[in-house]
Amino acid sequence: MGHKVEKLKPAEKTSSLPVLVSAQAVTKIYRSRHGDSVEALAPTTLDIHEGEFLSLIGPSGCGKSTLLRILSGLEPLTGGTLKWRDGPPTAGSDVGFVFQEPVLLPWLSILDNVRFPLDVFRTSRAEANERARAMLALVGLGAFEKSLPKELSGGMRQRAAIARALVYSPRIVLMDEPFGALDLLTRDRMNDELLRIKAETGSTIVFVTHSIEEAAYLSDRVAVMSARPGRISAIHHLDLGPQRSEAIKDDPRFYQWLSTLRKELR
Amino acid sequence: MNDTALRRIFTVATPLLLIAAWWGYVELFNVPRFVLPPPDAVFEELVRLFAGGTIWPHLAHTVGIIVAGFAIGSAAGFALGFALGKWPRVERIVGPYLFFFQTAPKIALAPLFILWFGLGLTSKIVLTVSLVFFPVMVGTMLGLRSMPANLHALCAILKLSPRDKLLRVELPAAVPEIFAGLKVAAVQATIGAILAEWLSGGTGLGYLMVFAGTTYKTPLLFAMVLVTSLLGIAVYQALALTEKWLLSWR
Repeated sequence: MGHKVEKLKPAEKTSSLPVLVSAQAVTKIYRSRHGDSVEALAPTTLDIHEGEFLSLIGPSGCGKSTLLRILSGLEPLTGGTLKWRDGPPTAGSDVGFVFQEPVLLPWLSILDNVRFPLDVFRTSRAEANERARAMLALVGLGAFEKSLPKELSGGMRQRAAIARALVYSPRIVLMDEPFGALDLLTRDRMNDELLRIKAETGSTIVFVTHSIEEAAYLSDRVAVMSARPGRISAIHHLDLGPQRSEAIKDDPRFYQWLSTLRKELR
Repeated sequence: MNDTALRRIFTVATPLLLIAAWWGYVELFNVPRFVLPPPDAVFEELVRLFAGGTIWPHLAHTVGIIVAGFAIGSAAGFALGFALGKWPRVERIVGPYLFFFQTAPKIALAPLFILWFGLGLTSKIVLTVSLVFFPVMVGTMLGLRSMPANLHALCAILKLSPRDKLLRVELPAAVPEIFAGLKVAAVQATIGAILAEWLSGGTGLGYLMVFAGTTYKTPLLFAMVLVTSLLGIAVYQALALTEKWLLSWR
């Protein structure tokens, strides 16, 4: 496929990992009421590896959110196939999704919100409480389990939303610009939190963003997308190592990647 | 003087001033009792009604109609609002009839209800139901429809069964709008019950009003206006308190 330009750096960790899901020539065409059709996603091929952190970046209208929603099952695909290693997701516990807004249930406490998926999956109350509390501690909200969503700040609410998506250990976690609505300082802090959570849970994460810096800081791989029609124009393996920290932002290689990605997005 | 103290003084002083003005007007211009009774006459009438016990059967009758009409009307309004909210196609079919029914003045329909359901309790409850029904229906429908798209997406991700989605997400999310409808309905129920008693029968606060008006017992009429207003406020407050308790998360 001409849309897939893998620029593999030697001996990267994720390339040796098994493929969790493979999108093969996946397309999405929207039909308007007047009968015209818009190609939101041209045939796109992409392998997502077990345990990797993959970012999708690109300008608005490049189909990054569409691709994410197709992976989540929220959006039916128009063409192509999704091949899952262990069969397509059938249970609600297969996919974790974090929206741009927290989308918490305002009438439930933070603990009840995080426990909500487990309650729906009929997990025993004792186990659900234990797992939800452990996840709240992991995202740093241990002291706020009795609070209502309205009593927390935007960043804290988003952490609760991440805890809710991770509490049932889904096969894949999909994040649609989860920190897009936060201020820069909070966003930086949330990025570090996310790296820490990722290191502890080992989840596979597909992350949509339009911030080059965020993508470079967090990702093992970055898929650069372009618009009209939406497609993947390049995939980069970032040779910044699996252990990320603030220090990496001073690394010349980090700057190199920022400039490479910026040029490609132009 | 701070704000709270000032507000307290106003709360006490305003009604006292109004009563004083009323009293002064009646005394100064020698207004006949059957046109505008002095406040003390109204107060005496109230004491006579409550202490003498004549008001209780009438009050019980009115409250009974309010409760029955409110319960039946809310249940029916909720049921239809639910159907309209969940299946928009239903609205296209029944929408125009509902609109017609709601726009028709209920006072014009009241004699028809009496013709159909007789002079007894039934026609009075039907009239109250017809007033309660609509606000509850609209509230329920809006509540179910105004659920944010992302909440639907969350339910889809977690693959909630329709039953779980309804009980755990859709209905709790609709509670604020449903209560907005119920509060309007509570006031409407009070108006409906009084109006129904006004038109037929020999019991109820509405009947007492007609009796007072036609026999020039103006102090009794004023007393009844006071009692019904207080009753309306009580009904509304009862719902507002329930709402406050249920919606403490807002």
